[in-house]
Amino acid sequence: MEHRILHIQSPSRRRRVGYLRMSAFALATALAVSACASTSSAGDAASTAAADTNSQAADAGSTEAAAASSDSSAAGSTSGAATSACASGKYKTVVQVRDNVNPFYTSWLAGGKAFSDSVGATQTDLTYDNDSSKQQQQIKQLLASISPDEAPCYILNILPNNDSDAAPVVKEATDAGVLVVTQWNKPADLHPWDGYDTWVANVAFDGKWVGYTMAKTLFDAMGGTGNIIELHGQLDSSADKDRSEGLKKALSEYPNIKVLDSQSGDFVRAEGLSITKTLITKYGNDINGIWSSNDDMALGALQALQTAGMNDVKITGTDAVPEALDAIKAGKMLATTASDPTWQGGEGLALGYCVATGALNIASMPHTQREFYAKQFSITKDNVDEFAASKLDVGEYDCNKVFDRATEPIG
Amino acid sequence: MTIIPEPDVVRTPAPTAGPRDHSRSRRWTFVDFAPLAALVVLTIGFAIANPRFRTLTNLHNILDTAAVLAVVTVGTTFVLFMGAIDLSMEGIIGTGVMVGAILVANTRNDNNLGLAGMLAILVVGVAFGTLNGVILTKIRIPSLMATLGVSAIGLGIGTMLFAGNPISVTDPILVGLARTRWLGFTAVTYVALGAVIAGWLIQKYTRVGRYAYAIGGAEDVLRLSGVHLSRYKIYVFALAGLFYGLGALLLLAQLGSGVVQAGSGLNFSSIAAAVVGGTLLSGGRGGVLQSTIGVLVLAVLGNGLVLVGVSSYVQNAVLGVAVVVAVAATTWPIRRKLGVVK
Repeated sequence: MEHRILHIQSPSRRRRVGYLRMSAFALATALAVSACASTSSAGDAASTAAADTNSQAADAGSTEAAAASSDSSAAGSTSGAATSACASGKYKTVVQVRDNVNPFYTSWLAGGKAFSDSVGATQTDLTYDNDSSKQQQQIKQLLASISPDEAPCYILNILPNNDSDAAPVVKEATDAGVLVVTQWNKPADLHPWDGYDTWVANVAFDGKWVGYTMAKTLFDAMGGTGNIIELHGQLDSSADKDRSEGLKKALSEYPNIKVLDSQSGDFVRAEGLSITKTLITKYGNDINGIWSSNDDMALGALQALQTAGMNDVKITGTDAVPEALDAIKAGKMLATTASDPTWQGGEGLALGYCVATGALNIASMPHTQREFYAKQFSITKDNVDEFAASKLDVGEYDCNKVFDRATEPIG
Repeated sequence: MTIIPEPDVVRTPAPTAGPRDHSRSRRWTFVDFAPLAALVVLTIGFAIANPRFRTLTNLHNILDTAAVLAVVTVGTTFVLFMGAIDLSMEGIIGTGVMVGAILVANTRNDNNLGLAGMLAILVVGVAFGTLNGVILTKIRIPSLMATLGVSAIGLGIGTMLFAGNPISVTDPILVGLARTRWLGFTAVTYVALGAVIAGWLIQKYTRVGRYAYAIGGAEDVLRLSGVHLSRYKIYVFALAGLFYGLGALLLLAQLGSGVVQAGSGLNFSSIAAAVVGGTLLSGGRGGVLQSTIGVLVLAVLGNGLVLVGVSSYVQNAVLGVAVVVAVAATTWPIRRKLGVVK
């Protein structure tokens, strides 16, 4: 300690200051690099994101200038712009999801891009790495950078990190007059029709259906009798709770299916692997089936079973990640479900676009169109090829068809 | 014959010789055996509670599960020796796994570099480790911040390489590491065992290992005696990086595919394992073997809790309590010497 104090007072002090400056610079660089990495779009990596943000800022600047110079001519139309019209006609879409590492979210971003391209809009991708405060900050920054003239040109497709994150997002978007569509997470008692004029809709997926359908598929494949293991995700997540509820419903219908064990692997592959290894030690060949709350853990379980040479155990997951589809094709995994994230990416934007262009009128949309469960698909060996080959049809986003995938929840 | 008692003066060491004298005559105390005792108690406890626990298959399983953590913890231990901290393993492993997956035979491209591809993972580890050391010593950013930054860089590069599509590896040697068994133990287990032995030899018989220890114990003394400290600090971080790279290689073998977050959570568990084993965060104490015992404690706990049937709702909490208790037990007798804790 003494030694250090001596050092600071010594002649090398000036060099110290130099180091300090350098360290600040390096730190800033490191942070910038990491920030770029987390906001980059999936395929085109960091550089695109940086470019996007720049061009966005430049656009906003030039639009303001244009608005100022042609003040008199614009005056008439600005009053109309408050309700819908985007004066410039250049729509800007923003898709915000958890990360760009999980294939589920990369598909989501790609679907959004496909729609944006189809209507000539420029898309910005945002990712918040499961961090609620980061998500809120991104939204705040984005909305602050939008001038009131530009507000009607923006369409947001947002995946709230948690249920509670939906409220501030839709509140701020409404205050800024920017159209927003949320998906999956929102508090049960928060509804788009409760005074949120620009919150077009919340698109959700029935987790109970997933848990129930996968369980039934699994039990039927086991001949209605045998022992299963439950692999759960984060136990406090609504995704896992809903899927588990569906599983319970199916279990009550199949009295000869016995649950050997129920463990949580936090939705992570490595966890699914190590837990399954341990459970194999515990139950050995008594295991006939594994019901997993997502594909990543199911793939981890598959790895463990293969290492143990247990090739007859049936496994189901959900999410339809590409590796799971490959495993189903190869007959190693039994089934998965898909919410079709590619479709989701475009759907969130399409709903907003239809409102922005006047094809839909928020005020007259029934509640069933502003909050709905979208169709999901069960994928087994029979239809996996068909599913893998299916391409996103932008025609589905025609304003007359945007609600074609709305379904009723299962009881 | 009468025994003349030695005068008291001789017994009292001269103040300047104090610390050195102390270290030379340091006897093995309870502290050194507490982690081992904990491991034995846990093992016996679980063995009584569940007959499945005491099977040979379960031993294979525990060691296979502990392998990656053991390798990574050996690396972390060297950094902890110095009183520094390293949180870069998630990022290093993220990039390492992706580089490996792309270079060996895989489902995305036609690369088939085999062993050279696996070697590349280790090179990635060393490169990132060196970067850690350079940022710490040349730019003088504290290791906590420097390694966190490097971790973010590693995850970023890994994400770019990932490019939205997972890659399955098909290289028979790499995949075989997790599947091939000798005497029931996977090849991964043997590699980890080799890494632990190598780590122990480095700690005991090389200058890098001994200096790492000395830097944590008395950096000032070492500097005054003319040792080129920053060079050795960089070596230590590079060495740690090498072990993280090896960890990435083994993880890739176990998972069978390139997943950027493969190393997620390893920063907590490796530091926890090292500390549970008796390697102090303040540096200068502990060792590769002690840390490995810490790894085994965590592995036995994780495995035993599932086998005994503890609900997954409370498993994490039990694990956390166990870590805190183990650390408290290890550091209790020397808590006065630890000085400021922050």
